Amino acid sequence: MGPVRKERKFIPSFWRRSAGRRAAEERASLRERELRSIEAISAALSHADDAESIARVLLDEIAALLSVEFAGLALVDEERNEANGLLARLDGKDFTFWRGLRFDLRREPSGIASAVFDVAPVTVFDTDTSPVINRAVAGSIGAKSAAFVPLVSGERVIAVLAIATTHERRSFSTEELGPLRTLAAEAALALERARSAAALEEALDRQRALLSAAQVVTGELQVEPVLQVLVDQVAQLLEADAADCYLFTPDRGSLRCAAVRGLDPTVVGFEFPVGYGLAGRAIAEGAPVRDTDYQHIEEPIPHPAYGGFAGAIVAPMTWSGQTRGVLGVGSLDPTRVFSDADVDALATFATLASLALRNAESFEESERLARVESGFSRIASLLGEPVSVAATLDAVAQAAAEAFGGDVAAVLTSGADGYRLAGAHDVPDDLRAAFAEGLPPGAEVLDVAAQEARTIASATLDDDERFGDGFRATAEAASLLAIPIPAPRSDRHAVALVLFREPHVFTDEDLDLAGQLATRAKAALERSELFDVERRSRLLAQQLAQTGGLFSGELEPAAVLDEVVEQAPVLLRADASSIRLLEGDELVTAAAVGPGTQQTQGSRVPADARPGGAVVHSGAPVAIEDVAGEQALLEGEPMLGDRYVSYLAVPLFGADENLQGVLAVYARRPRVWQEEEIEALGALAASASVAFSKAELYQQVELERERSVAILGNVADGIVAVERDERIVLWNAAAERITGVPSEEALGRTVPEVLQRELRSETGAAAGDRLVPIRRGDQEVWLSLTEAVMRDPLGETAGRIFAFRDISAERVVEQMRSDFVSTVSHELRAPLTSIYGFAATLLREDVKFEEDERRTFLTYIESEAERLTTIVDKLLSVARLDAGDLQLEIAPVDVRALVSEVVESAREEAFNGHEIIVELPESPLAARTDRDKLRQVLASLVENAVRFSPGGGQVTVGAARRGETIVVSVVDQGIGIADTEQDRIFSKFYRVGDAQTGGTGVGLFIAQGLVSALGGRITVRSAEGRGSSFVVELPARDADGHNR
Amino acid sequence: MDEAPRVLVVDDEAPIRLLCRVNLEAEEMTVLEAADGISGLEAARTERPDVILLDVMMPGLDGWRVAEQLLDDPDTRGIPIVFLTARAELRDRARGLDLGGLDYVTKPFNPVELAALIRDVIARVEGGEREELRRAKLAELRTLIEER
Repeated sequence: MGPVRKERKFIPSFWRRSAGRRAAEERASLRERELRSIEAISAALSHADDAESIARVLLDEIAALLSVEFAGLALVDEERNEANGLLARLDGKDFTFWRGLRFDLRREPSGIASAVFDVAPVTVFDTDTSPVINRAVAGSIGAKSAAFVPLVSGERVIAVLAIATTHERRSFSTEELGPLRTLAAEAALALERARSAAALEEALDRQRALLSAAQVVTGELQVEPVLQVLVDQVAQLLEADAADCYLFTPDRGSLRCAAVRGLDPTVVGFEFPVGYGLAGRAIAEGAPVRDTDYQHIEEPIPHPAYGGFAGAIVAPMTWSGQTRGVLGVGSLDPTRVFSDADVDALATFATLASLALRNAESFEESERLARVESGFSRIASLLGEPVSVAATLDAVAQAAAEAFGGDVAAVLTSGADGYRLAGAHDVPDDLRAAFAEGLPPGAEVLDVAAQEARTIASATLDDDERFGDGFRATAEAASLLAIPIPAPRSDRHAVALVLFREPHVFTDEDLDLAGQLATRAKAALERSELFDVERRSRLLAQQLAQTGGLFSGELEPAAVLDEVVEQAPVLLRADASSIRLLEGDELVTAAAVGPGTQQTQGSRVPADARPGGAVVHSGAPVAIEDVAGEQALLEGEPMLGDRYVSYLAVPLFGADENLQGVLAVYARRPRVWQEEEIEALGALAASASVAFSKAELYQQVELERERSVAILGNVADGIVAVERDERIVLWNAAAERITGVPSEEALGRTVPEVLQRELRSETGAAAGDRLVPIRRGDQEVWLSLTEAVMRDPLGETAGRIFAFRDISAERVVEQMRSDFVSTVSHELRAPLTSIYGFAATLLREDVKFEEDERRTFLTYIESEAERLTTIVDKLLSVARLDAGDLQLEIAPVDVRALVSEVVESAREEAFNGHEIIVELPESPLAARTDRDKLRQVLASLVENAVRFSPGGGQVTVGAARRGETIVVSVVDQGIGIADTEQDRIFSKFYRVGDAQTGGTGVGLFIAQGLVSALGGRITVRSAEGRGSSFVVELPARDADGHNR
Repeated sequence: MDEAPRVLVVDDEAPIRLLCRVNLEAEEMTVLEAADGISGLEAARTERPDVILLDVMMPGLDGWRVAEQLLDDPDTRGIPIVFLTARAELRDRARGLDLGGLDYVTKPFNPVELAALIRDVIARVEGGEREELRRAKLAELRTLIEER
């Protein structure tokens, strides 16, 4: 049902309209064409991008659509003062008259003006009669009827579309005007779009110009090139004939030309007062100023180059409220009128210029800072090496020159002898020479600057009365900057001087920079000083080490002193040196070196006279920078005065910390003695003292040693010294003799290795003598030993010295003496006991003894009394022998009879079954001798034979003549005598075997003594365990006492 | 004491032995003699005397060694020993007592008092005061040494 109903519905509608079919078809046709046109125009317009293309599309379509011969388009200015023909089509061709046709909307009537001011279409049926028609134009077109449709964009008429018929008059119906208006609106849109595109294009152009200008501004950091680019660009952009840029120089109140375009280049640098002309106005107003009639402003043009200009704009260059200068453009063409947009553009460029200025300035500043930084980084990099104070001072000068853009820079320091050029950068020789003798005349103010730490800035040195003419002439500078900087340690004051050949205007920044320079210089100097001190100390240390080495080997005290005074000036780069030794209350020159020191040798000054006395008094170094003619010092130190003015002295201490003297160095010129130099001299003095003491000691030791060697060589005691490691280092001749070990065998070995026993005491405490037995071959040797322990400062044992004597003989004698006492006591007690005992027994009253018993007792008393007598005789004999006081009673003696007598007596006493055999010649043995003494000898020998044959056996006693000699022998079969003892048995108190054997131990001693006194000798032959044989040989003398 | 005490005199000096014999026999004692250390030891072992008078300085075996051997031997240990010697030094006397001797008679001595001394020693030993006697003698000696 739907479609049927629809169709039915459609048909009636169709038929209803068919009533006026023709008109309707015409309308439809028109409408269709309208729509097609509008569509086409819209499409075309949308592709057209400029006003002319739009106009062409529009006009062709309109002409076709409305069947008119003429169609034209005129553009209306913003102020609606005029309209200008853009494009017109007449009979399908361009109507060129139209192009450039100008309609004065305000003054001349025209259909265009009507359309503009009515803002609505205007139709004219008969152009000839219509008052709104511009007849000239209409005539040239040949228009009969016309219509004018305004193209409105945003309530503003931007153009007017004019159409006209040339063949017939016709009226344009509102139905026809409707689409026309629509097309006009489309065209207006298109135009507007094109126009804004153009505006955009223009804006883009400007933007591009600005951008490139800005690129220049930011890319170029020198201000002059930037300004040049800006004036070039702005002139180009604004199609001006000329452009210029002036910079404001506040100190002179003027504007100075910095860049021009289209003007005589010599204008650059031209100056005129700031309040003058357009520029003055622009600066005063703080905004751009435009002048259309430049030649008629009140004031004359500032420069001939500006002659002939018609219009101009000047914009102030301001940055954060500060005027930096002006930027201007000018046109020679009177018709070229600068628009508001031009003004804006210039203002923008001016801003850009001031920005560029600012940038460039800040760049210049940062560049300057960078230069300073690089100056300091150079210092730093130099310091990294590291550098000396001298190099740093040069670097400071260089940094100062670079920081301030100066041409010459110098660092002046004041020391003991005035100012000197301590650091220099590009300092010409003349100026160098001027500073050679301190501050040149006329530059005294630099001393003030240094002393009072005041920066002096002199922009125009020629007019600066603070400086004298002489100096100003020498300096050859337009400007000068003097910056006080902290002085190096060795100096009092310092000032950095920067000279500018071109005049230099000093700013606050410069002053800041000056402060910075001082600070950085201080840091750099401190570091370099540290380095210097370190380097100098190291050098000093090295030198000291060498020096110490030089005289450490010196063993002559005087040579040490000579070497020290040689080395001291080298060490400290001084000119002379001396050593004065303290003798009583005087200082005596012991060594000196340096010009003019010869006559001081041996000279004496009081030990309390300054300056040497001050060293003696304080025991500390004394440094005098400059004696400055002080009389007391000159008298106390004759070296000072004409030749030497600076003095440094340190004490010389001896090994015992006592002050020995004074080591001094001298300099010809005033000099600040550095701490490390004082220390170095002190160190030299210390090692000198050590070397000196060592040399003295060495001499003493050498003497002592020689003496000791002599003494030790000759001393009777054995002396043995061992080191800490127990190795033997001394083994004297007596030690060799006593021990039987040669020193070459002993040295380097230990005592136990050499002697098979220790000598040192077990307890370590070696007090007094000790008795130590050692072996010498198969002999036992008794040493009386003393021991000294040498200790090092820490109390550790550093060695030992043993001194010993061979007391073997003494010891034996002592032992024998001791034994003798007890033996004699026993020997005496035995007969005494019998005598006393039998006497007491006989006196007993309780017992009645028989006669024979009593006789026996009395006989014992008698024989024991005899025995006692014998013993006493022996002792007396010993005493006499000892005293050499033996009384001999020489008489003829029959030895044969005497032997028989002795044997007989012995037989009476023998009790252990000894068999005593006598072997005697037939005839008497006559001799002249002391009978009692000989009897004593023989009795002693027989007694011994019996005594030492405890097991009994035979004792053979014989006597015979052998030539001139009577030989008596006593042979036993007893215990015998060891070989080692045989030479000792004749010693006083010596007894064979143990004490219990009895005997006084003096028998053989006496026998030998007596035999010897009798002119004979006694010998022994014995084998241990087998018996002994004693032989007495006496000279046989006849009865007259002569040998036969 | 039931029987007469038997005293062994060991001395190399014949007069001393005779001196002892006549004086001791006069006091009803039996006296045995030995002229050296070895025969002294022998006699002591075979005869078992009640007391031994022992000389020190003798050829061959001296008195010290005789005493040591006697005191080492269980058979002879009980026999009191009285040293009889010319060695008068205190250190010798101390040595004798230290060895185990009960008294010490230095030469020259009074032979008349010998018997009383021996009798006293025998009585003390039989009374079980052997050690006390020795200690008393040592103390006596110590006093002497200290007095010096």
